[in-house]
Amino acid sequence: MTEPTLHEVKVPRIRQWEPWFFVGPSLLLLLAVGLYPTVFVAYFSFHNWTMGMGPPVFNGFDNYIETLTSSDFISSILRTFLFLIVTLPIELCLGLSIALALDQTRNAWLRRLVQILLVVPIATTPSVVGMLVQLMFNTQLGVVNYGLHVLGIAPIDWLGNAHAALGMVMMTQIWEWTPFVALVLSASLATVPQDIEEAITLETESFWARFRYIKLPFLRPGLVASIVFQTIFTIKTFDMIYSVEKGGPGDATQMIALHIERIAFRGFDVGLASAESVLTLIVTIVLAQTVVSFLYKDEV
Amino acid sequence: MKPSVKSLLLGSACAAAVLGLAPNAHAWSLQQAAAPYKGETVTVVGLDRPSYKAAQKLTPEFEKETGIHVKWVTYPYENSLKAETLNFVSHSGQFDAILSDVVWPVDFTKANWVVPIKDFMANKDLADPNIDVKDFFPVWRHAFTIKGQLVGLPFDSYAGLLYYNKKILKEHGFSGPPKTWNELLTDYAPKLYDPAKNLYPYALQSARGETQTADSFTRFLWPWGGRYFDAATKKITLDSPEAIAGETFRQKLIKFGPKGIIADDHSQVVQLMGQGQLAMVTEWSAFYTTLTSSKAGPDIAVTTEPAGPKGQYSAFGGFAYMVSAQVPKKTQDATWLFIQWLTSKSMAKPLLENGAVVARASADTDPALQAKYPYLAPMVKTWEHGSVPDWRPQIACYPYFSELVSQYGSNIETGQYTVPVGLKKLSAKLQHYMNSTGCWNSINVPKH
Repeated sequence: MTEPTLHEVKVPRIRQWEPWFFVGPSLLLLLAVGLYPTVFVAYFSFHNWTMGMGPPVFNGFDNYIETLTSSDFISSILRTFLFLIVTLPIELCLGLSIALALDQTRNAWLRRLVQILLVVPIATTPSVVGMLVQLMFNTQLGVVNYGLHVLGIAPIDWLGNAHAALGMVMMTQIWEWTPFVALVLSASLATVPQDIEEAITLETESFWARFRYIKLPFLRPGLVASIVFQTIFTIKTFDMIYSVEKGGPGDATQMIALHIERIAFRGFDVGLASAESVLTLIVTIVLAQTVVSFLYKDEV
Repeated sequence: MKPSVKSLLLGSACAAAVLGLAPNAHAWSLQQAAAPYKGETVTVVGLDRPSYKAAQKLTPEFEKETGIHVKWVTYPYENSLKAETLNFVSHSGQFDAILSDVVWPVDFTKANWVVPIKDFMANKDLADPNIDVKDFFPVWRHAFTIKGQLVGLPFDSYAGLLYYNKKILKEHGFSGPPKTWNELLTDYAPKLYDPAKNLYPYALQSARGETQTADSFTRFLWPWGGRYFDAATKKITLDSPEAIAGETFRQKLIKFGPKGIIADDHSQVVQLMGQGQLAMVTEWSAFYTTLTSSKAGPDIAVTTEPAGPKGQYSAFGGFAYMVSAQVPKKTQDATWLFIQWLTSKSMAKPLLENGAVVARASADTDPALQAKYPYLAPMVKTWEHGSVPDWRPQIACYPYFSELVSQYGSNIETGQYTVPVGLKKLSAKLQHYMNSTGCWNSINVPKH
């Protein structure tokens, strides 16, 4: 008995290319806005080029050496890490608390209202956030110091004192980005199957047990996404701080993105700014990859 | 044969016409000069400041007379240099009329991004015979003269002035404002400092950025005899005893200011002055209208900035318009006609009346206008005797130079560094920057 044979169906050539017609435009756009600037930056990082001072000249690793020996670059990147280390855990804790509170809320209307309100800080233009913060934290006229005064606390020089200014931009960052974490985690909690929730509720009344064994596994993808995105967003932080303090007073709030902007668009030193950008990109990728590997280490 | 009277007259007229001596032979008019450029569009860079609002308001007059369309592109000051530089580097030809701060012309001319003014001035079809460049105050002409050539026509020109609240001064026993910085600190400040009543003698705008460099740091440099550098020896001189004395004085003075002043920009100090919380503030002449139309406006008067131990060196700042070298010749010519019109003697008065500040002596010294706008007299006095064109250095790498001054100047103000330590660090940083970029070769030393 002969085995049945499968006849190869000949797909018209045009059908073979069909998927590319759909993904092609997006791919081209991605290459244009994502890959091209990255390659451009990498190329100029090996050149000495100050805008208006002659054409680019290849200078090997000089820009990288200058970057790694620059006290301004080092202090800006360390300040950015401090900013990240302080703000990210607080955003995660607050975001998780809000997400769990929303999950417990039985009133659908209230839940929807809170979700809408959570979008406001994220949707507000960063420069507007900056202006509002500048007014709110103004030493003479601001509502924050007025509140402190009502509580009998002496006014704080939020904008003029280096430590207070750093604290102020941290608070603003937390206010602006905690809702993002809350919404992502809220979406993760919504994936917990109803029947499992009901079963565990019958099994135990312990909130911790329900959280640890049922909710946390479902939260993990959301937590990873929140940590990775927030790490990237925090390292990239520019607009809010620029509109509030421009990196000042002194260099108290000068994060790495502000430092690179100064080199690129005040010094117009494209070569040096490119090298700093490449190094910052590498640091960001390594950090994000480390977080992903750590959180998924059980599955690796 | 004896020539007849008629033939003599005819001959003379012909000769005069040939030699260009006849009164109407070269009668220049904007309308005629603009005829070949009718329909052209000129893109002009402007700022979100009163002078540009006044210019935009009056622009339709130019468009009506010439048929040239003018498109204004407005930027915040902080973004304007970046926008213009990117325009040039990318050869986008986005802007035709280029706005140059008093500290940028070296960059623009060194890179050949702008057309030398003499090219237009030599063209009889384009140059208004009444342009009268000498009517611009000398300090302004010198500020925009690079290698002996005028490179831009001044517009939106400022002098640092002392605004004071007459009522507050009188209530505290002062018949007028201080003449020197020392008087302000030792006599006025202690008596006027009353934080419980939200009253402060003086506020120094010191926000990080150009405000820190131009309005805060430099203000306490020149009057004490300090200088940024010695061009002859190529040495930064900010750690000199004079510079240390000036910046130490600044530290003493800011103690009498409101808290948070280190982060405050022009808008905040103007607001404080307008609300009657300040007795005095040093601000640009362009803020006169804003201040006098505020709540405390009727009590606000204006005079020249106080003098320092080494004389009066008031803040000096402002802009000039130039023509982009990267746009077609026809557009360049049309752009020149617009710039020439905007900065002309005849436009100075309407511009002033619409809130602009101009550097035209004919308008600024006009007694009727001086009576109407009291800031004009001290402004003129400052430009004639109390300031210098290179109050901030005229070098090709000024923007980053200023960033460093701003960073360390602000660090000194916050107390992160003592004055001598901060200035020593700043000097070392600037010296390294100037040496490594070869910027010493780009210094423009204008005539004082």
